Amino acid sequence: MKEKNIIRLAVLVFWTCFWGLSVMDKIIPDVYYLWVGKDFYALFIKFFASLGLKNPIFATIALAGISALEVLNFVFYLVSLVLFAKGEEGLMEKWFFRAIFSSMTLFALFSIGDQVFGDRFQLLEHGLFWIVLIASWVVFKHVANDEVQTARINGTKGASAAIIVGVILTICASFSIRNFSSHTFDNVDTAVNGVEVIDGVYKFDFPFLADKLVWEKTINTFKTEHPELKVNYIYTGPGELNSKKKTHMLLYVFTEEL
Amino acid sequence: MNTSGIKNNVTTNQLIRFSILVYWSIFWLFNVVDKLIGGSMFLWVGRDRFAQFQKFFASAGLDSPMIADAALIVAAGLEIFACVFFTGALFHFLKKRTEAARSWYFVGIVLTLVTFTIFSIGDHIFGDRFELLEHTLFWFITMVSWVVYNKLEVDTGDELHLSRAQKSLASIVALVLVIVTSASIFSYNEDYFYRRTTAIESVQVGDNLYKVSFPFLGGSTVFEGSVQMFKDANPAKRIVQIYTVPNPLRLKKADSLIFYIVTEDK
Repeated sequence: MKEKNIIRLAVLVFWTCFWGLSVMDKIIPDVYYLWVGKDFYALFIKFFASLGLKNPIFATIALAGISALEVLNFVFYLVSLVLFAKGEEGLMEKWFFRAIFSSMTLFALFSIGDQVFGDRFQLLEHGLFWIVLIASWVVFKHVANDEVQTARINGTKGASAAIIVGVILTICASFSIRNFSSHTFDNVDTAVNGVEVIDGVYKFDFPFLADKLVWEKTINTFKTEHPELKVNYIYTGPGELNSKKKTHMLLYVFTEEL
Repeated sequence: MNTSGIKNNVTTNQLIRFSILVYWSIFWLFNVVDKLIGGSMFLWVGRDRFAQFQKFFASAGLDSPMIADAALIVAAGLEIFACVFFTGALFHFLKKRTEAARSWYFVGIVLTLVTFTIFSIGDHIFGDRFELLEHTLFWFITMVSWVVYNKLEVDTGDELHLSRAQKSLASIVALVLVIVTSASIFSYNEDYFYRRTTAIESVQVGDNLYKVSFPFLGGSTVFEGSVQMFKDANPAKRIVQIYTVPNPLRLKKADSLIFYIVTEDK
């Protein structure tokens, strides 16, 4: 395949997956087996409630409207991808333009919403997606106009060595990953040991893998191991107390003698 | 554009191409090192990708560590091959084999695009919108760096020659600024590093209510020392709650961590 077609295929696959999965996220609004997604319904309800529109009909209509536009985007990209596979370049470009234009319109609408609802981070997010769409269009057109050559890697010096080095490194990485996984997976359900850092105050350094079940197990184990102590208060250390990303969470348990 | 006599000198275009290749080689090299190390160690913090993948898959109902391991190995494989091809492209570029460098670079670009596309699909499934933005931006940067690399012709470009007077003047200004900046940094270190570990005295702001304002340098050692100091100074008081002031109540970036100690008489 020519470079031009590989890049075009990469652009089409990325955006088709992007919009296809966005539509899927609207069809599956909750957490299910093999799907977590994002609860856009809750987000929209909160946004509209902040405007004083507490009736869920407003959020529902808005979400349905947005989903319809996303479906439209997905269909446009999918048609472009199918036409690409069929080799109908002219038609494919027309559909791709429709897809890009409708996606840009949707992100422009999102940006208006972000300004109305005062969400500056989402405004940045949608602004960035919008510029990425424009850049995708430019790249798509650029590769059409350029005299790009077919990538020939086989004839170049060191191609076989690169494959061998890649395979060896992948095997090493696989062993390292399996080794690390087997050494740390216990953290998923092992109680964390506390250290008395202040008189009557114990610190628990939670690992990355720990979750709410580890928290419960930790507190219960602590209480069993220290029947002479009464837990007065539990304090979750804020992010500022962590040394960068070394620890996932710091927990302090304040106790006193019974 | 001055092209006379450039063939024997390094041009701006060559330097930018070189920078692109070095950037992507290092980018993937360190990602691979992060996978090989796994957790934190002396001189390396990195990111615990196994924990991240494990939590992602567990949230979708796939608790087995084998799934997270398999996904991580696939990701590591793609990153390793991207690293190998970008490094190969850099090697060919340094050997002035322009066409070979371009071919190897293209394979690296395709592997990078595939990696970020797969990550983006994962972000949709696991509902991580911040990572989706991050991976889309990296996908975009990959595309742009491919276009920029192709647009730069190696044999053309601006010459980098500067006159001796200009070089001397720039060097003097830079040197003076480096000395001033360094002096300021070392002086601040000398005067304020104690804040990293020194306990902070609490201030009573109400009945059984005490405030502790952290310096930016403070960490868990300062917290523990401050609580110990409070307990020593107030032996008749029992801590019933510690309240961390949330971000909306802080003065933007001027306030670091602030917490209140709520007490009662023993």
